[in-house]
Amino acid sequence: MTVAPMPISPGLHIKALYQPLYWLSLKFGLLILALTSWELSGRLGLIDEAFLPSFFQTLAATKELWEKAFLFNHIMVSLARVLIGLLMALILAVPLAYALGRIFPHTAHFLEPLLRVFGLINPYCLFPLFVVFFGSGEVPKIAVLTWVSLWPIFFSTLTGVRNIDPSLIKIGRSMKASKFSAFWKIVLPATAPQIFSGLRIGVEMSFFILIAAEMTGATAGLGWIIHSAGALYQVPRIYGAGLCVVILGLLINRFLVFLQNGLFFWKESVDPILGPSRPLDSRQKISPLKIFLAIAIFTLVLAIGFQQIILAERRLNDPTIIPEYRVWTE
Amino acid sequence: MKFNSETLADLFYRGGSIVLFILLWQLGCSSGFLPMTFVASPLSIVETLWQYLKDGSLYKHASVSVLRAFYGFILAALVAVPLGFMLGGWFKNFERVFNPLLVFLGQFNPFALFSVFLLLFGIGEFSKVAMIFWVAIWPILLNATLGVKSVEPNLIKLARSMGMGKIGLLLKIVIPSSSAFLFSGLRMAAGTAFFMLIPAEMMGASRGLGWLIINAQINYQIPKLYAGTTIIVLFGLLIDKLFRIFEKGLVNWKEAQVI
Repeated sequence: MTVAPMPISPGLHIKALYQPLYWLSLKFGLLILALTSWELSGRLGLIDEAFLPSFFQTLAATKELWEKAFLFNHIMVSLARVLIGLLMALILAVPLAYALGRIFPHTAHFLEPLLRVFGLINPYCLFPLFVVFFGSGEVPKIAVLTWVSLWPIFFSTLTGVRNIDPSLIKIGRSMKASKFSAFWKIVLPATAPQIFSGLRIGVEMSFFILIAAEMTGATAGLGWIIHSAGALYQVPRIYGAGLCVVILGLLINRFLVFLQNGLFFWKESVDPILGPSRPLDSRQKISPLKIFLAIAIFTLVLAIGFQQIILAERRLNDPTIIPEYRVWTE
Repeated sequence: MKFNSETLADLFYRGGSIVLFILLWQLGCSSGFLPMTFVASPLSIVETLWQYLKDGSLYKHASVSVLRAFYGFILAALVAVPLGFMLGGWFKNFERVFNPLLVFLGQFNPFALFSVFLLLFGIGEFSKVAMIFWVAIWPILLNATLGVKSVEPNLIKLARSMGMGKIGLLLKIVIPSSSAFLFSGLRMAAGTAFFMLIPAEMMGASRGLGWLIINAQINYQIPKLYAGTTIIVLFGLLIDKLFRIFEKGLVNWKEAQVI
């Protein structure tokens, strides 16, 4: 006796095919509609082009920045600052949170009010202090970025460490897991999603503050472009550089979401921006190749960023480039 | 209140670290371990604050700053709460399509817009209020939408089957059950509003707390710089605390989400 295959209703089939396409077309349709109305409102004179240049003007300004004003260099400098800040924050916050949460819970309890106050300090008012401490080079900017993403990562890791299911640790112990393997196999996987959610808040805060930090005393970076364009009222350039910041932020966020879905494939999450994650059964564990690729991309971006920071500094002192470069500063 | 060992321990855990930190800081300053050119001692900060309080400049700058943040925040709440309710409740499909655009706009950095706001609204108060409005609107909007979307559908069905009208549904079901989200959105927005106020005032203002500290930095008046920072920190703490108290009182049946 053969088992008849489950009949698939044609309606369901078509709907499954048609639903994502429908949403996709709606989403892109809206995007195209928004861009068209942006362009048209400028062209038809509904909005003064001095305030809101049309879409193509913005694109043209971005292209001009890319060709003449070393836009790539500025993007990489900004990106490198953010990434170094995040990396430093991770290196500082995660071990500290583990140590305080697991090894010294009483000290953690004692220190928490102070650390909460530190986390609530407005980073912008720290910036002048950091300049006083560290001078005016790269260090105060990276210090501010580190500070900003340090506290979200620290507190969410600490919450994660405190909320580990104690029976998991007991099971590990009853199976004679060594301290190291208990950490590696239980504590780390249990808290990694929390580290990640802290990291994502950190990314958002970093991009917020990056522009401000670069506006008040930098010689390179997207914030500096915005600042100098703003001082000259070259409005299309402001929007062009602003567009770059948005795209950069969205790209990093997407990258983190991709990693999050792959690394924590067992966990449902509701994202404040992107909504609920994909259903669990459609997700798979990330392959080692992809992890390797992600790390490689990260290292590559960091290396290029370092090189570009050095390049930007060298360009400042290079008498042959300055006249052309100065067009964009004065 | 009776003082026994328990309340003492509680007090120790609550404020002990902060007191210890300030004591160490003062000790480091007065022993000369921390250089006076970089670090102002807590006592000198208090002295500067007292001076500010006496000559009325503290009141002047703080009131300007608080009013700016307040106006921006209130405007954002007035626009974003109804809009979020509409997006989450009535036009669900519309919201699904609209969300990417909102996310895109929310990512647009307020500083990039600062010069444009200056062009649009002039150099007066309104450009700063507009900037705060811009940053405060997104958390409220996203959370209000999320809150309305997360209302238990069974509750709505139940109320409807009992013949409840639209207004009753809104007042008795939708608003109470989305209030936890709404409040956390409002708290985040208030925090961000105050957060953004400082750089806005640093860049183009002649009054306000942000101006106070940037002015101190330019003139290299370290105690004033620290005093300004202290006031801003205190205000930030106060706002956070106030919202948490409100949240506790109004949304007391839901478990708090702590980050």
